[in-house]
Amino acid sequence: MKISILYGTETGNAEMLAEDIQAELEGAHDVSCENLADTDPTALDPTQLYLLVCSTYGDGELPASAQPFAEAMDSAKPDLSAIHFAIFGLGDSEYHETFNGGPKHLAELMVAHGAVQIGERVAHDASGPDMPEDLAYPWAEAVIEEVEEKLGVPA
Amino acid sequence: MSGKVAIIGAGPSGCFLAQSLLKAAPELEVDLIDALPVPYGLVRYGVAADHQGTKAITRQFARVFERQGARFFGNVAVGRDVTLDELRAAYDAVVLAAGMSVDNRLGVPGDDLAGVYGAGRITRALYEHPDAEALPDLGPHPLIVGNGNVAIDLLRLLAKTPGELDGTDLGPAPTGWLAGSGIETITITGRSPAARAKFDPVMVKELARLTGVTIRVVEPGESDDPDEAKRLDALATIDGHGEGARAVTFRFGLTPAEVLGEAGRVTALRFTTPEGDETIACTSVLTAIGFGPAGDLPRDALIASARDAEAGALAPGLYATGWFRRGPRGTIPDNRADAQALAARILDELTADPARPGRALFDGRSGIVDYDGWCRIDTTETTAPPEGRCRAKITTRAGMARIASEGVTTA
Repeated sequence: MKISILYGTETGNAEMLAEDIQAELEGAHDVSCENLADTDPTALDPTQLYLLVCSTYGDGELPASAQPFAEAMDSAKPDLSAIHFAIFGLGDSEYHETFNGGPKHLAELMVAHGAVQIGERVAHDASGPDMPEDLAYPWAEAVIEEVEEKLGVPA
Repeated sequence: MSGKVAIIGAGPSGCFLAQSLLKAAPELEVDLIDALPVPYGLVRYGVAADHQGTKAITRQFARVFERQGARFFGNVAVGRDVTLDELRAAYDAVVLAAGMSVDNRLGVPGDDLAGVYGAGRITRALYEHPDAEALPDLGPHPLIVGNGNVAIDLLRLLAKTPGELDGTDLGPAPTGWLAGSGIETITITGRSPAARAKFDPVMVKELARLTGVTIRVVEPGESDDPDEAKRLDALATIDGHGEGARAVTFRFGLTPAEVLGEAGRVTALRFTTPEGDETIACTSVLTAIGFGPAGDLPRDALIASARDAEAGALAPGLYATGWFRRGPRGTIPDNRADAQALAARILDELTADPARPGRALFDGRSGIVDYDGWCRIDTTETTAPPEGRCRAKITTRAGMARIASEGVTTA
């Protein structure tokens, strides 16, 4: 399967996780990894599965590298109805009120433009006991399995 | 691309710079030199003990050493163990990323009285920096001057109950000090109106989770500006919070004018306000009003004579990044952006001279802690920490040196 990992990062933690997921999936799939800051929302490719990895920054806002993408989305209003995506969020429950606000916002934005979300948004908590990759690898595998079943795409 | 780069300071700015340099040019020799035997600087000794999520950024930095090939030279003080000139002669580029650690003083009469302490002095002691002074008795009524995130960190830690420190890496001595502080009230004052206070709203909202306090925000005022309104909203969410025994009071628009004392010890702080003078009684004054450079590097002279201070280019082959360049403003990711920009400039300007010795400069020198040495310290600290703690820091340089060199045979 062709998979594109897109990350929105502020401190670099989401970028690191995105690269880890890429390395984990590379053996079995054709995987690319790109910063959301370098991604044009009008040029998303329906033959790819998009795995979004996004942190939260400030007061529950999108991280810096996801903001240009969100702005381009707001102004270009692309039709994403042929696009499938799943999203993995990074946050810190120490800031409970705004926990995982960034990825929540990004997922809503994708869905609002017609994109089809696969699975539930998973939220990693930096103040919790798990390492992000320990949640993210099974998440990615489950998403891929669901897409293969749903769309009948050969593995 | 080949070349040798020395970064002075293995805190977040230095680590982000090494990360960026090596991502773009994996063949570079990048060495992080730190006066402490342990890396990560402010993340270890400045980020609050109860913000372990923020400290998770060290996983990125560990990879800079483990996968990207950067080397750590700990326990090497520039000025004592090696001079800046020696480093500049040995490396193709030298970057000053030593941060800022010296508390700014109030600069008003009485600021040298007993009982006036800088926030850095207190937090270094709380986080068990090996060079920290002992934790002082603050008395029942400390007063915090400053409205930045450091002031909020200090307020939150002083206000926490012992149970609220679970999951931190706060050591037994600081834990005992906090538990026995006898603090009854904490007043926090800012010079600006509430709308223009420097703290991040999310830091204030976090205070709404404190269980041992009653919080009051005095006359925060109003604003139509969206950013200012966010700050006021955050303050509104905590005003009236809690029914705990410790009374926390936020005050704004107070400019310190004089520290008053008796028998050489602080008893009150006199402020000027738009409505006239006001004196607030207190048993200690904690100043969180910014930091200046440590004296070991001639920072002011270097910045003043810089060819492009804004970009961090000081002199040919000499650069600065992070707080050392910009002053004590901006968060960890701000310093990441700073480091990424500087990495591009260094790579653009770098002229590798194979005759320069680089890290061979340190050959045969004793007492240097390398990355493996740090890993032994890290493992010791995180293996079987006490109940309710995620780490038990080694608190002395001698202890760090001993553990770092354990199992190492000298050839």
